[in-house]
Amino acid sequence: MATATPSAGPAALQRRGRFRPGDAILYVVTLVAALSGVVLLGLIAREVLADAWPAMHKFGFHFLTTTAWDQNKKLFGAESFIFGTAVTSFGALLLATPISIAIALFLSELAPRGIRAVVTPLVEMLAAVPSVVLGLWGILVLGPFIVNTLAPALHGTLGFLPIFSTKPSVGSNVFAAILVLTIMIVPIISSICRELFLGVPTELKDGALALGATRWEMIRGVVFPYARAGIAAALILGLGRAVGEAIAVTQVIGNNVAIHWSLFESGDTLASRIASQYQGADTALQVHSLVYLAVILLVFSLVANVLAQIIVRRVAGRHSVR
Amino acid sequence: MSTGASTSDFFRSERMRRRRATNLLVELLAVAAALLAVAVLVIVVASVAKRGAGAINIDFFTKTPTLLTFGNPPPSGIANAIIGTAIIVGIAVLMALPIGILAAIYLNEFAPKRLANVLTLALDVLNGVPAIVIGIFVFVFLVVGHGQTAIKGGFALAILMLPLVARSTQEVLALVPDSLREASLALGAAKWRTTLSVVLPQTIGGIVTGATLATARIAGETAPLLFTTSLVGNDISTDPSKPLASLPLFIFNSAEQADPKLHEQAWGAALVLIAFVLVVSLLARVFALRSRRRLAGER
Amino acid sequence: MKGLLQRNRKRHTLAAVAGLLVAISAVAAVGVSGAQARSTRSSAGELSGAGATFPAPLIAVWQQRYQQQKGVKVNYNAIGSGGGIAAITNKTVDFGASDAPLTPDQFNACGGCVQIPWVLSATSVMYNMPGIAMQLRITGPVLADIYLGKITNWNDARLQRLNKGEKLPDRKITPVYRSDSSGTTFNFTSYLNTASKAWKSRVGNGTNVNWPAGVGARGSSGVSGVISRTPGAIGYADVAYALNNHLAFFKIQNRSGRFALPGLRGIKAASLADRKFSSTNALSIVNPPKGRKFLNAYPICTYSYVLLRLQSPKAALLKPFVTWAVTQGQSYGPDLRFQPVPPYVVARAKATLKKIHA
Repeated sequence: MATATPSAGPAALQRRGRFRPGDAILYVVTLVAALSGVVLLGLIAREVLADAWPAMHKFGFHFLTTTAWDQNKKLFGAESFIFGTAVTSFGALLLATPISIAIALFLSELAPRGIRAVVTPLVEMLAAVPSVVLGLWGILVLGPFIVNTLAPALHGTLGFLPIFSTKPSVGSNVFAAILVLTIMIVPIISSICRELFLGVPTELKDGALALGATRWEMIRGVVFPYARAGIAAALILGLGRAVGEAIAVTQVIGNNVAIHWSLFESGDTLASRIASQYQGADTALQVHSLVYLAVILLVFSLVANVLAQIIVRRVAGRHSVR
Repeated sequence: MSTGASTSDFFRSERMRRRRATNLLVELLAVAAALLAVAVLVIVVASVAKRGAGAINIDFFTKTPTLLTFGNPPPSGIANAIIGTAIIVGIAVLMALPIGILAAIYLNEFAPKRLANVLTLALDVLNGVPAIVIGIFVFVFLVVGHGQTAIKGGFALAILMLPLVARSTQEVLALVPDSLREASLALGAAKWRTTLSVVLPQTIGGIVTGATLATARIAGETAPLLFTTSLVGNDISTDPSKPLASLPLFIFNSAEQADPKLHEQAWGAALVLIAFVLVVSLLARVFALRSRRRLAGER
Repeated sequence: MKGLLQRNRKRHTLAAVAGLLVAISAVAAVGVSGAQARSTRSSAGELSGAGATFPAPLIAVWQQRYQQQKGVKVNYNAIGSGGGIAAITNKTVDFGASDAPLTPDQFNACGGCVQIPWVLSATSVMYNMPGIAMQLRITGPVLADIYLGKITNWNDARLQRLNKGEKLPDRKITPVYRSDSSGTTFNFTSYLNTASKAWKSRVGNGTNVNWPAGVGARGSSGVSGVISRTPGAIGYADVAYALNNHLAFFKIQNRSGRFALPGLRGIKAASLADRKFSSTNALSIVNPPKGRKFLNAYPICTYSYVLLRLQSPKAALLKPFVTWAVTQGQSYGPDLRFQPVPPYVVARAKATLKKIHA
């Protein structure tokens, strides 16, 4: 007997009794559609792994610790690209985190309603700028700016730091990639954090203020702890976006295979190397090695995404039990 | 509070001043950060607008790219890229929209909670797969040995679009009150009737918003097209069984040329692309606001 | 009453947006249906090719002229020699183009492909150094050391010694190379192999090598682009790109001791270095030997090859096109510093084309 509890959701509102073929058809059709996500994930994993297998078999895990991309010696390795990916993504995250959280605070706690209504869509519009356009801007506007103005300033004042230790000669370098990636992930992180901060129960916030806390102390004492896990998830999602970005990075990073400490040298990342070389890879081993890079990228993004989604679901579950 | 001190002393105390100062500093930093973000947006859009405006004229929308001829090339444009993008994006929408909506219906209306969680997780994870990996997947799966076509490019974009549409549709479906469903079922309507004729119409606004935002998002994607529809000619073609030109790839290829005339074309194409993406996103958000108000009003 | 009005307005907006989405889908649908009718018509008179950026300037002229004269549309995507080899192997184009001759492995992978030299030109070594003469002198060993990262500044003694008339500034040299798989890279590195033992043992030649120093760019135009934006940069590309982008290029010392320019005279002299085809129609004219007829030879010249499948559905269109390209097409070359291919190349081309069938 079908007794639907009021809050059990629409799925529980099944109707037993007369068999309605329409129900069955809709059920099957929508089920197939819903499985598409899982099916696609499985297909992607399978195809990419299959195409990378010859390189994985030949190089094994040494691939991850070799810095080389030598067609002649038939030696390929991902180490410099993993390094480049790590530097650019974590560098972007480092810059983006305080900025995004500050923007989210501004738009959820500090700004008056009118300003909020104007600035929020503007920040989200930044996310809508296509990556290829950011790359174009990076090549023709940001690059020269870095070489002519920003980098000499940084090198002149902070040149003792290894990351600023060389004088940049060309606009295609790791620093440009970091800046472009930062611009890309700030709107992502800030919009998630904004929603999080808006979701903090007002009683908790009011309570802190009533006890005499300043706004900042309230944020630090109530909002941040409450939203802690969600902020972590947002950062992981932003990191995932930065790691996976191929087009804008390949346009500004200079495609160099070595590992440098200075940010003003050229470098390369996993995604960027795939984008720049895949179309023209003319030996089978090179193709398979490039797909091996894609496997590394895929593994990382799967882990990061599952982690972030688990955190988000745990937080949602915890906070909805009131 | 000590007996001899007054309230004003307390507020003028050293600690209070420090706390106030910190608060002020943080508030200023937050404002600065927001201003920074807006400034960057303005700088980027202004760069594109200023440098691309010179390329915009009627020829730009009606002619095709000039070949690499030296000397004085005739006026050229991006007509083939605009049409190509419209077709490729259209194919992606045709593929992703129905599947996304149907998937969301299953997840919200039919699926037991556990299964729904798993399938939703899968969609969210799919959303996070880098576009370049999806491009490689479609290349290995469909293009090798068979050739590039615009349909395969549309398919790659559809994979990107599917989780977005499914998620946004699911969210709107969840907003529809159960009382509506219960009333319909109580009146004797079948489940499928209820879903399609009662629940779904309530969500059209949200679906359109989500689909529009997703369309704007994929219209700017370059990586999936790089391996599926990049070997194109310079003429206007509407044949999706062949590779078609696209705005993002045009920008990508023109961006690194040395010729400043090609740079101007790239900026012009970027302006067209940005205008389309931003206008569509803005429209979708305005629409979302109005439909949200309506849903709230009718409850 | 008010609710009714609101609902009507909402319906109109809905209709408008829905109409927009339908319109986009309609364009797609029209395209699909039009494809049936169109496919026979368009594929009848159309060829698609992809490959090297080296011959792209001349191919661009060919596209225009051939369509004017014969009504056949030729599409060409300059994605690099590696891309051309991959495309013809994957059967995604009707013809490929590569400056690097195919290796036996690549012939195997391609399965029934041939290559025919159809373009002859020089790889110029360009530089961006404002205030300096347009044609500085350089030698192979110095060039190799620059790309090895051993010479890093313009005022290096060895470079200065070669150019006594110029005061070279204190500026970092940024070597620029091709980040994609490139036949021009093959040509350039083959030359460096002959000029420097250190280069040969450490890096070697190929379409894609392990560059010890410098910055990468996509395509010959990408290289030209980076150089024009970067004072102090050096890079290599077909000479047509240097001319089109108003970039200076070096005079390079050949084996006869002369500093040669990548002009028609230098290319013609270099082409005399190899007149014997390999079994796969390849010719190598890099760094010609010392000799009277090579006095003006430019040391970094190369043929570029068209890649065809022996069995191709477009054979009826390909054969006349390639024949036209190696005969009438060559007359458009000199303006862009492409030296017309010698008669024995034309003869070999025609003989090879006979083997192609539908």
